Amino acid sequence: MDIDKRFKEVGIDMGQKADEDKLPYVHIVEGQVPYKSKHRIAGSETTDPLKALHSDIYKISEVKCKERPYTWWGPNPDEARAIKSKENKFLYDKRMTQSQAVKKFIRPGINLGVAGFVNTRCPFSIVWTIVKEALCNKTIQATDLTLSFQSQSLCVEWLLGAMMLDDSRVSVKRVELAWQAFEVIGSGPMWTHCVQSGMIEVDDYTNYGMSVRFKAGYMGIPYIPTRDHGGADFEVTNRGVMLKCPFTGRMVYNLPACHPDVAIAHVTAADMYGNSRIFGQTLTCEEILGAATTGIITCEELISNDAIRNYPNLTLIPFLHVHAVTPQKYGGYPGAVWGYHWFDMDFLREWRATGLKLRKEGNKDALKAYYDKYFYECDTWEDVLNVIGYKRLAQARDLDRGQRVILD
Amino acid sequence: MTEKIKAGPFETLCLTGARCLEDRTVVFVGTGLPMLASLFAQRTWAPNLSLIFEGGSLGPILWMGLPLSVGDIRAGTRSCMVKGLCAVFEGQQRGWSDYAFIGGAEIDTYGNINSTCFGEYEKPKVRFPGSGGAGAMAANSDRIIAIMALEKRRFREKVYYITSLGFGDGQKDYRWKAGVHGRGPYRVVTDVALFGFDVGNTNKMVLLEYHPSLSVEQVQERCELKLTISPDVKPMAVPSQEQLKLMVTEVDPERYFLGKTVEA
Repeated sequence: MDIDKRFKEVGIDMGQKADEDKLPYVHIVEGQVPYKSKHRIAGSETTDPLKALHSDIYKISEVKCKERPYTWWGPNPDEARAIKSKENKFLYDKRMTQSQAVKKFIRPGINLGVAGFVNTRCPFSIVWTIVKEALCNKTIQATDLTLSFQSQSLCVEWLLGAMMLDDSRVSVKRVELAWQAFEVIGSGPMWTHCVQSGMIEVDDYTNYGMSVRFKAGYMGIPYIPTRDHGGADFEVTNRGVMLKCPFTGRMVYNLPACHPDVAIAHVTAADMYGNSRIFGQTLTCEEILGAATTGIITCEELISNDAIRNYPNLTLIPFLHVHAVTPQKYGGYPGAVWGYHWFDMDFLREWRATGLKLRKEGNKDALKAYYDKYFYECDTWEDVLNVIGYKRLAQARDLDRGQRVILD
Repeated sequence: MTEKIKAGPFETLCLTGARCLEDRTVVFVGTGLPMLASLFAQRTWAPNLSLIFEGGSLGPILWMGLPLSVGDIRAGTRSCMVKGLCAVFEGQQRGWSDYAFIGGAEIDTYGNINSTCFGEYEKPKVRFPGSGGAGAMAANSDRIIAIMALEKRRFREKVYYITSLGFGDGQKDYRWKAGVHGRGPYRVVTDVALFGFDVGNTNKMVLLEYHPSLSVEQVQERCELKLTISPDVKPMAVPSQEQLKLMVTEVDPERYFLGKTVEA
């Protein structure tokens, strides 16, 4: 598992964690026969000891699903804490190129936390670099990934599309999420295709659920109570559990913390140590980076540490959560980045049309042509922007209508 | 100039959705049709309507036009506050919003909405985007307004997956036992009918208004679920030329929704 490498890197010896059948990986209630995964039939009660307490959902649930023993899909809270405690925490220059960052931190089997929200300030250029290095340059393997995010669009579609082309270079084995599509433009064709054909394991939460799972990770607590999910089919299918509140006596639904191995985000401005400002909706960037054991950011502007110290209140992500700073203008294109540019709807539509060809006709030619155009034939993110062309970049910039940011 | 603008299904959805929004309330707005109707309401009779978008904005003025995403710059600009998802969802959990305004793929008699999948969870026949914020909004906003086109396959006795909780099985204490805060479903807005709920009694969906081009029976024919008809059932208002003009010039000039058709 990747986590062992990360332990070695920061010099941690977690002796007891070698046996994966033991706690904390698999939940076994004392005195009970270890619970075996089986398929739950619609309308039937659960045999999962973790779901012993529940609302009346099992009386009405129509969902057929697999009951799975609880597992952490990334570092567990103790491991995440141990890594954070042991690593170098002084202010050092973290600037590197995206390709260096990706080669250093992306490895098979990791949980990759993707920040941003649907098409807004998503880390498009980092995801592009992951696909470029893994699929085209073959310098890394981005296989057996677990993706964790609240809502995404093209970033996830690009990874899934690359998996359709060569799953020995890029592959996604599971996704914990709230939403994946293109809002007004429509569904995510690769997502629909991969889930409907049973290629990836899925775990559904609400947008708040995923956001607060990262927040729990950031807070260093193993789980967090929420007032949603309960009574809906999330209670049946996801890895949260219903508990009785010790103080009010009411049922409350609890979600496990989510610690990605690597989180990627695009921010407005950062200094070379990783102190970052975000303008516009801050989304879940702060929480995802806070929960992850490694943080890679691209920034629209590289600012001085002096500027950061002028307005320390504006620092949303502190240097302690960042391990690679990669300045990249238009790193969130074709999404919207507050103060810089609005969406490029045509670019998003182009992908959707490409993906639909594969999903509906089973024909990979259009997909191959797309990856040729935007990945194989482009050496850097700037080359991709050149293909898109100045006219469209300028149009997207104008449509932002001059939202304000503070850089000094 | 004298050419008349046609009131299609999405124009009617926009008006009826907006009619459900009271001025001086707080609405947590979901993606798609709720954004369309909220913008129209803010531009007409509800200038003091405070909107929340899950990207993290509270009280924006939508001067840049229709947001195409709930995280859109257009949904954040001129806000009273902009933070992130946790901030606004936690505020909602605390009791900020009077209404959740959400869409979905299918809905049942008790207002439970599916936006996850049809069929087996691991290998579904049809997979949708997922909950997004809708599940949280339905749980914790005070009341729920759902909006979707009226199609037989969407209005079912039971849904495959309950993503956004309505009244559950219709029992009075279902939501209490589920640990959620909100009171549950209030209105279901469609292109040809407006529904409410028999709250506190059967908690079932009730037909309140029907499109003047249809009869009550024809509305029932377009639902798989069995409707309760309100004793005060009446024809629904359709958009006037003035309202339509505002819709096509200011609300959705790029025609992301307006002018499109719905399969019956």
